[in-house]
Amino acid sequence: MAELIQLGIFLALLTVGYFAGSMVERRHYASIRKREREYRDVLAFMVRFPFDRTTPQRAFLVHGTVVVGADYFKTFVAGLRNLFGGRFRSYETLMERARREALLRLKAEARRKGSKMVVCVRFETTTIASGWAPAMEVFAYGTALVPDDGSLSLPEPRKGVSRLLGDGLVRPPA
Amino acid sequence: MIVSNLELIPGRRVIAHYGIVQGSTVRAKHVGKDIFASLKNIVGGELKSYTELMQEARDEAVERMIAEAQSMGANAVLNVRFATTSIAVGAAEILAYGSAVRLEDQ
Amino acid sequence: MSRACSATALYGRRPDAAVRIENRPPAEGINSSTDNPLKELAWLLGGSLAAVIALVFAVSLAAQWIAPRTPYKYEARLAASLPPIATAPDTDQGRAVQRELQALADRLAARMQLPAGMQVRVGYSDSKTVNAFATLGGQTVFFRGLLVRLGSEDELAMVMAHEMAHLQHRHASAALGRGVAVGVILSVVSAELGRSAAAGVLSQAGLATTLSFTRDQERAADEAALAVLAREYGHLGGATDLFRTMANLPGAGSAAPQVELLRTHPLTRKRLLAIEEWARRNDVPLDGARRPLPSAIAALQGT
Repeated sequence: MAELIQLGIFLALLTVGYFAGSMVERRHYASIRKREREYRDVLAFMVRFPFDRTTPQRAFLVHGTVVVGADYFKTFVAGLRNLFGGRFRSYETLMERARREALLRLKAEARRKGSKMVVCVRFETTTIASGWAPAMEVFAYGTALVPDDGSLSLPEPRKGVSRLLGDGLVRPPA
Repeated sequence: MIVSNLELIPGRRVIAHYGIVQGSTVRAKHVGKDIFASLKNIVGGELKSYTELMQEARDEAVERMIAEAQSMGANAVLNVRFATTSIAVGAAEILAYGSAVRLEDQ
Repeated sequence: MSRACSATALYGRRPDAAVRIENRPPAEGINSSTDNPLKELAWLLGGSLAAVIALVFAVSLAAQWIAPRTPYKYEARLAASLPPIATAPDTDQGRAVQRELQALADRLAARMQLPAGMQVRVGYSDSKTVNAFATLGGQTVFFRGLLVRLGSEDELAMVMAHEMAHLQHRHASAALGRGVAVGVILSVVSAELGRSAAAGVLSQAGLATTLSFTRDQERAADEAALAVLAREYGHLGGATDLFRTMANLPGAGSAAPQVELLRTHPLTRKRLLAIEEWARRNDVPLDGARRPLPSAIAALQGT
């Protein structure tokens, strides 16, 4: 009897994980696509130096970070997949979601600072927790550039948003 | 498709920047190789099956990054960087990301 | 910054006017997958269950083959280190019953080829359970609930010979070896999977396969017991009597028998047919004169 109850709980968690998980994933992707269209004007690149090296600009370190967890269904399938080897399809989709979300948050912070260009973007991934409730963090960081024509007034930094580092002035070469 | 972690290829000129491309994969080896690796830990030395795992994962990640660049119409990926995470024992995620650009001979 | 790696050195005084700068969205589906995860689950679950069952099957066959072939003295040493099971209640009646059972066992032992060094020790338990079993170290136990339902010495001898056949074939050792081997496999699988639920599911699947072997062992014990019965009594009346008794037990023939004996020894037409087949093959009569039960055991039925 006890085994039946255990099996029942396991199946219930699996079902909830599958349905709720796929719904959460669909919604998140819809939100990501919408915001990607919205932030099309904020450009992000990996190049190390700004493209426009003649006009004076201010530079700020901006970042976007997100921690995602896998639902019970994904974790169970991953447990079985670990026996056989090969690709973890559900985790790959999860990580792609997380990376796109992190980049969007980075662009959002850049826009808050009035920037339309982010250069030198880098990504870091970490596993926060493994085992039966895995969680992974994606951290994207880059330098946001804002043209400095003297009349710039930046919005007040919100609580939790990174503070300005240095005076942020970039002077063109003499 | 030129793939490099250089920012500038000698003899070529960048005529267009298309943005960041990424390729990632999460892989594991089957349990037999995991068990063998834990036994190998007794004597030490290279764990060939895990080396293979990382190599396959890295190759696949770079391939996907190239596929994304091709879908944008780029002909080179520069500034390539790698990031690795371990998801669970014996399973790893590799991320390869770079700048998709269009190169032209100088 | 040194001159060699400055922006000017890399890019020149001003960027080319013709360089296009934009963010193009890449194609979807390269780093993600739109396959139905249920299909993947079906494949993985099916494959892993099949693999675990096959592995457990193979390992338990191997363990069952090896364990009875190891010398009996190791089993005897193991049994000696465990608390004894073949005991008797501390009453005059209990001790008398145990003595009679032991005497019958010793008589039947002379008709069997027991492993070198094995001494059959019979225990008696004053419990209403309807059962008898054989375990490590040459020990068997009979329960009062079974003894009161037997009608003749032949019937009792059939049960005794059946349990002693288990001892003769070292089935208890085989079951122990199988249990240990399966336990090792399942713990390896569980360790690999960590605390994931997959470990639990696969363990249950592995344990389920270990129950199916007892049927083969029961069949082998039956055949050996029939041979002993034929040698001692000259006919198989005890066997047919026993099966008739079992058929009359409460819950016989139902899917969930209440009686322990029926749970571990299924009463099927196959077993009855096997007796008739054996009798025909070895030219032994199915019927004959029954010997009465020993006095102390017969006295149990009055109380």
